[in-house]
Amino acid sequence: MKQNLSRILTLALALMLVLTAFASAETVDPAIAAIQARGKLLVGVKADVPGFGYQELGGDFEGLEIDLAKKLAQKILGDPNKIEFTAVTAKTRGPLLDTGELDLILATFTIMPDRLLQYDFSAPYFVDAVGLLVKKDGGLASFADFDGKTVGVAQSSSTRAALEPAAEELGIKVEFLEFPTYPDIKAALDSGRVDCFSVDKAILTGYVDDTVVLLADSFNAQPYGAALKKGNAGLLAVVDELIAQLRASGEMDELMAKNDRPEVNWDEVDAYHESLWAEAEALAAQQ
Amino acid sequence: MNGPFSIANWRAWFNAAPLFMRGYGQTLLISLWGLVFALIIGILAGVALTGRNRPLKLFLRGYMSFFQNTPLMIQVFILYNVLPKLGVRMGVVTVGVVGLALYTGAYAADIVASAIRAVPWGQTEAAESQGLSRVQTLVFVILPQAVKVGLPSMTNQAVNLVKNSSIMAVIAGGELMYVADSWSGSNLIYGPTFVMTAVLYLTICLPISLFARWLEKRSVRNV
Repeated sequence: MKQNLSRILTLALALMLVLTAFASAETVDPAIAAIQARGKLLVGVKADVPGFGYQELGGDFEGLEIDLAKKLAQKILGDPNKIEFTAVTAKTRGPLLDTGELDLILATFTIMPDRLLQYDFSAPYFVDAVGLLVKKDGGLASFADFDGKTVGVAQSSSTRAALEPAAEELGIKVEFLEFPTYPDIKAALDSGRVDCFSVDKAILTGYVDDTVVLLADSFNAQPYGAALKKGNAGLLAVVDELIAQLRASGEMDELMAKNDRPEVNWDEVDAYHESLWAEAEALAAQQ
Repeated sequence: MNGPFSIANWRAWFNAAPLFMRGYGQTLLISLWGLVFALIIGILAGVALTGRNRPLKLFLRGYMSFFQNTPLMIQVFILYNVLPKLGVRMGVVTVGVVGLALYTGAYAADIVASAIRAVPWGQTEAAESQGLSRVQTLVFVILPQAVKVGLPSMTNQAVNLVKNSSIMAVIAGGELMYVADSWSGSNLIYGPTFVMTAVLYLTICLPISLFARWLEKRSVRNV
């Protein structure tokens, strides 16, 4: 009997050891462990893009990307509010990731092959088409009328990359001017410096007023992904898992509806997704 | 090696160097013309400030106060986006030249005026006693001496002007800073980009600075 008891005890001890080993194997990723030790998730978001990342003067951040970040905090830390948002711009988001001041960026960051060489991107959580905003009295009805015209785009946006092949196909010559912010492009459109303001449609709808009109033309899909520092595989896996879960459960569509985002064709997203990573690999092989 | 300064990123930058050289050329072009007009404004306004025409002096004080005490970025933005609505439409290079000339000219006027005032009054009296007219006194006696006093500060303004030309990036100016922002924004290669952009600005500004220091040393020796 005594022998039996000690045998059971030994067995129980061994089992406990094995279980602890499993448990620690699950949290062994240093990036996740660092976030948990810190007790909050550091996320870079946009502060000036309604529907994605927007901050009222001194108020809380809101938008699709804010909601996604909260879901991620819930998943890693068990609390959607254990999170610190930092407003980023096109110029600050790269360096903030590299210095480790942010865990990840959720800021209308378009996944592009050459960007995949610099940072790791999650699977897309949104995809949008590029649209064209023109002046009502400018006489432009479609992209075919754009020969010799000037298009204003945002610095570090992929709009230009989407429009250039389309212009080539139509055999027209279009000039591009890049501006640091969306309001700068709108001002340039209003003053006649550019004939068209072009970015992703979901962003463009925020700039429609009495004097301008959104054309029916639509160009290449622009998939948004979360960006992470290269080699942060543990966190990347968690983000990808979260996006897959949210899509499978239909929660992602609910978040889109809640934030007034257009419906997303996920099949299109997946097809595009794969082609982007393949292109990036080809690009890396070239270098 | 990975990270922002990886060898692949440096290689990518050097492949794109011709693009940056075009921006460099645009920076030189805008700076050079900006400097020429800033000097013209500075000398004319500086001389007028030491003269006796009160309404003109009041007007110049107003001009200098506005351009010295508002951000250059706003001035350039007005030239680029507001003037077209009033029917004045300048190309982007002209906007840069006019903006930099008006801004730097406001400082240059102060430098010229104080350089003229630094020339002892006795010089004017002596010139007038020799029968020189006011203009002759200014051109042959006062200005040659004032140049010595004002040149070092003026060269500093020239350096500032070159660096300030980077403000053109916000209005798609096509100069060096615009190229750097645009290129690195698209492919996210910011490491080599901004290091090399700084080096390119240095190749313009450092020689001017060294020239200024040499001038200063020389003028100290000659006093």
